[in-house]
Amino acid sequence: MSHTPSAGTQPTVVEKVFDFVDERVGLKLLAAKMLNESVPGGSRWAYVFGSILLFIFIMQAVTGVLLMFYYVPTADHAYASTQYILHDVDYGWFLLSYHFWGSTAMVVCVFAHMSQVFLWGAYKKPRELIWLVGLLLFALVMGFGFTGYLLPWDQRAYWATTVGVEIMDKTPLIGDFLARLLKGGATPGQMTLSRFFVIHVMVLPAALIAFAGLHLFLFRCAGPGGPFRGTPVELKAKTDYFFPRQIWKDVVGMAVVFACICALAFWEPVVLLDEATPDPGDYHPEPEWYFLFLFQHLRLKMFSGEFGQFLGAIAFPSLLGALLVALPFIDRDSERNIFKRPIALTLWVMFMVSILIFTVSAIINREFLD
Amino acid sequence: MNDQISPTKLGFGILWPTFWTGLPIKLALAVLFLAFGIMHFETRIALAFLMLLASPVTVFALPTITMGLDSHIGEGAGIALLFLLAIPIDIWALGVAGRTFFLERLRREPPDGLGLTLWWKCALIGAIFLPILWVAESATTDAAISVAHTIFETGFLAGIPVPERISIELTIWGTVATGVLLVLLVIGFSLVGRAIRGMVRSARHAAENYEGLITRWDLMRVPGDQGLMLAALSGVAVLLSLLFWASLPVFTPHPHDCCTKPEVKAEPAFKPLETLNKDEKLITQLAARVELLVEQRAEAELEKEKSKKNGEAGKEEVKAPEATEPAPPAAVKP
Repeated sequence: MSHTPSAGTQPTVVEKVFDFVDERVGLKLLAAKMLNESVPGGSRWAYVFGSILLFIFIMQAVTGVLLMFYYVPTADHAYASTQYILHDVDYGWFLLSYHFWGSTAMVVCVFAHMSQVFLWGAYKKPRELIWLVGLLLFALVMGFGFTGYLLPWDQRAYWATTVGVEIMDKTPLIGDFLARLLKGGATPGQMTLSRFFVIHVMVLPAALIAFAGLHLFLFRCAGPGGPFRGTPVELKAKTDYFFPRQIWKDVVGMAVVFACICALAFWEPVVLLDEATPDPGDYHPEPEWYFLFLFQHLRLKMFSGEFGQFLGAIAFPSLLGALLVALPFIDRDSERNIFKRPIALTLWVMFMVSILIFTVSAIINREFLD
Repeated sequence: MNDQISPTKLGFGILWPTFWTGLPIKLALAVLFLAFGIMHFETRIALAFLMLLASPVTVFALPTITMGLDSHIGEGAGIALLFLLAIPIDIWALGVAGRTFFLERLRREPPDGLGLTLWWKCALIGAIFLPILWVAESATTDAAISVAHTIFETGFLAGIPVPERISIELTIWGTVATGVLLVLLVIGFSLVGRAIRGMVRSARHAAENYEGLITRWDLMRVPGDQGLMLAALSGVAVLLSLLFWASLPVFTPHPHDCCTKPEVKAEPAFKPLETLNKDEKLITQLAARVELLVEQRAEAELEKEKSKKNGEAGKEEVKAPEATEPAPPAAVKP
């Protein structure tokens, strides 16, 4: 992408503008650094999840801003304004459905990205910091899902939040403080909605932008890990630059995700339940699908009672989180091939299978509640 | 590199990248058809996605499963059209993935017309094998579910709480169903590999070293005229976007009970000239009627005066004629 005019020809306006900016900020150097980074072993589809996540976040921001033009974050008007978006705003139903399914896609892609990093052994030295910031980003994405779920202010939103805050309340020392901070009163109401709204549209996006930037910066410092197998000759022969091969794959990945979200928005557009009331009536409260495995987990007899609920809702998830944080420091072996790391592979398979079983169990469990 | 590659690896090595190579184009068409409203998926969108992903092998198996085994993935003419349009896409994708596999993994020269040959072989095997897989898997899953239920209906397990029971039952039948599905899939990939093996054996060994092969494989994926390719892709993207927005419903297809809009009857179109003529006619009629009324009233007054003069005043009450009463509204309508 040379923008220097060839000998004997006058530079075009675009070339002049490019040179003007380049002279002041070093655009050519920046572009060369961003695009000409070598990808060991060549571009791969397995590397697209990071870029896809960035794309989904941008789309969520765009659709979120458009929804905010109409949404009123008050307990009196939140439900009516969401219904207004669905029924009266041109293409409002599609925007809201896209935003809803986009959040699901974000969770799925975060899971896929984390799994890829774990299986590729890309959390190992010198990429420990990337992994840690990635875990923080994962927590932020979950936070987005949790806070955004309340905003439509229907029965589903109200009760999922009530259950979620009650679970948080069980955390020792800080649980009560956290629950009161989020709820702002004895029961979810205007204060809860205001706080969730502010966290969802201001705090979390700012934090996500900051930490995603840090994540990318750390990634550029350490460089890509490359595939975990292959001879040096094979790796060298396939190595190419980030542009254009990997960028092309990223773009195709983004297009696929966009099409999938659109298809899901058509297949299951957002339909609100009745407006939130402190009486659940016939509705059986349950959280969003990606928290269902934890919810079903808590229905088991071994997790009944005060102590059991604490174990299931707080102790075990915290232990898992602590293990993930400590992972790069526990696993110091330089071997990255997942097929030569049987413990890691077995743990990953067991974790995924248990999430699948408990999520499907929660869905089957609905029949027994009705 | 690998003359002794197993049929399963061969089948999987070609089909897996093929599935994902064609998917973006097929997905774009699927979204467009959903927006047009010519196809609908009820609860089986995951199955529909898998069928579309694996369309090189499901293209002829799907009608058999839908009609023969009475199990459909959705409704609408769009499904048939989508799978029809998937055929050229799959032939292209099989060609790209097949040539890559021949050069990179097998280090052999890819034969001419590889995409088309691979496609009809895969589609034929799929048409025969997938319905068998469907029947076997359905029967196994049903049997495993009923066995799991039976185990829990025996007396000694009756006290197990519902959440535990659901999870254990799911684990039992899920393990059996997944195990059988994996075995059947391995058999399927192996069948495809066996069908392709003959082509691999007859293909010439590539002359270049590994670096040379990779360079060739790499250049093979780069379009001859990149500018034209980019322009064509952008044009298609713009066209698809326009079609998408044009066909997208403006309001939600699933309105809530609270917000159903009242049916508004369209008012007849306003025609100024006709209305003016009609009003003019009405005014003329009304003016004539008023004139008549005034005349009648004057005559009545005259009669009254005549009677007074004749000295009959106060003896007889003069009744106003009926014609002087205002006419009912219907009567004034033109």
